[in-house]
Amino acid sequence: MAWADTVFACLKANGIRTIAHVPDTILTGLIRLAQDEGDMDVLGPTREEEGVGMVCGAYLGGSPGALLMQNSGLGNAANAIASLAIPYQIPFLMLISQRGELGEFNTVQVGMGQALRPTLDGLGVPHFTPERQEDVERVVHGACALAFSTDRPVAVILSPLLTGGKQL
Amino acid sequence: MMHRQEAARALVGALTDQLVVTGLGNVANDIFAAGDRALNFYSRGAMGMAMSIALGLARARPQDRVVCVDGEGSVLMNLGSLATIGRYAPPNLTCIVWDNEAYQITGGQTTPTAHGVDLAHVARGCGITGASVSYSLEEFSARLRETLDAPGPHLLVAKVDRTLAEGWSPRRPALIKYRFMGRLGTLEDVGRMAW
Repeated sequence: MAWADTVFACLKANGIRTIAHVPDTILTGLIRLAQDEGDMDVLGPTREEEGVGMVCGAYLGGSPGALLMQNSGLGNAANAIASLAIPYQIPFLMLISQRGELGEFNTVQVGMGQALRPTLDGLGVPHFTPERQEDVERVVHGACALAFSTDRPVAVILSPLLTGGKQL
Repeated sequence: MMHRQEAARALVGALTDQLVVTGLGNVANDIFAAGDRALNFYSRGAMGMAMSIALGLARARPQDRVVCVDGEGSVLMNLGSLATIGRYAPPNLTCIVWDNEAYQITGGQTTPTAHGVDLAHVARGCGITGASVSYSLEEFSARLRETLDAPGPHLLVAKVDRTLAEGWSPRRPALIKYRFMGRLGTLEDVGRMAW
């Protein structure tokens, strides 16, 4: 997948050294790239909220991090973002694969898919959605700059327009 | 059951250059009152996240010892963190759980540990093999001496009473972060400025 290669190259170029991920089909290739790399600390929390705590702790120790999750995970992670990352001004990049949108076949995915952007907006987390491969590099670089220069979590949403979504 | 503030003083008294992460509420106040230090990171929110923060920190700082102190109510909110700590088994992480069997700060409602749940047993089931419960200050102090420099991960449950600390931990989260990272040397700007 071209998008996953580009995203991973951007993570490396921006000094990301810790990756926490809760598995998701769309993210499989990106997670594998991170695991195969060897240089990054790739960690699997049991729940996305735990992942927020882990990347925040890693950052305090000098290891900037990214959290990879499906949009359902944002619901699990919301309180840790609101009451840890934001008030303590701890930056990290969220890469959120989107379900519940174009092509969705599973009814239960739609609710959190629709709540994704309003939740990020409500939390005050800037978010960006590259829809074409040629925008991926600029968006991920820019999101990393915004996060790590201004000390806040920032989200990049991986739309089915970019990733092809999950197929039935 | 041990005097909570005596346990906090015993813990802080045993520290040297460890990085300390506390949970929110009374635990943060206890550790602050027992002896504030720049290498203390006090939580003020995100109930349950202290062990996860400590795990991330321990992974990022393998040459340093990380000590996490949290209450049992918070740990119960994020039991998955014990599974993750067991899975990655950071040798430089010591977790301490103040267990007063109550959500004390919200009115003393009982937690599951008042009804038979054993967090040390849960931790051992997660692979934190030496997890223990201490009922007296002597026992807790001995466990601390055994574990603070020994390869972990460790989990020490301390059965404590409900004696409150005098005073409150610092209220400004950003200040806690910048002081901690400044002392640790992980934030360049803090080191470049005069203080």
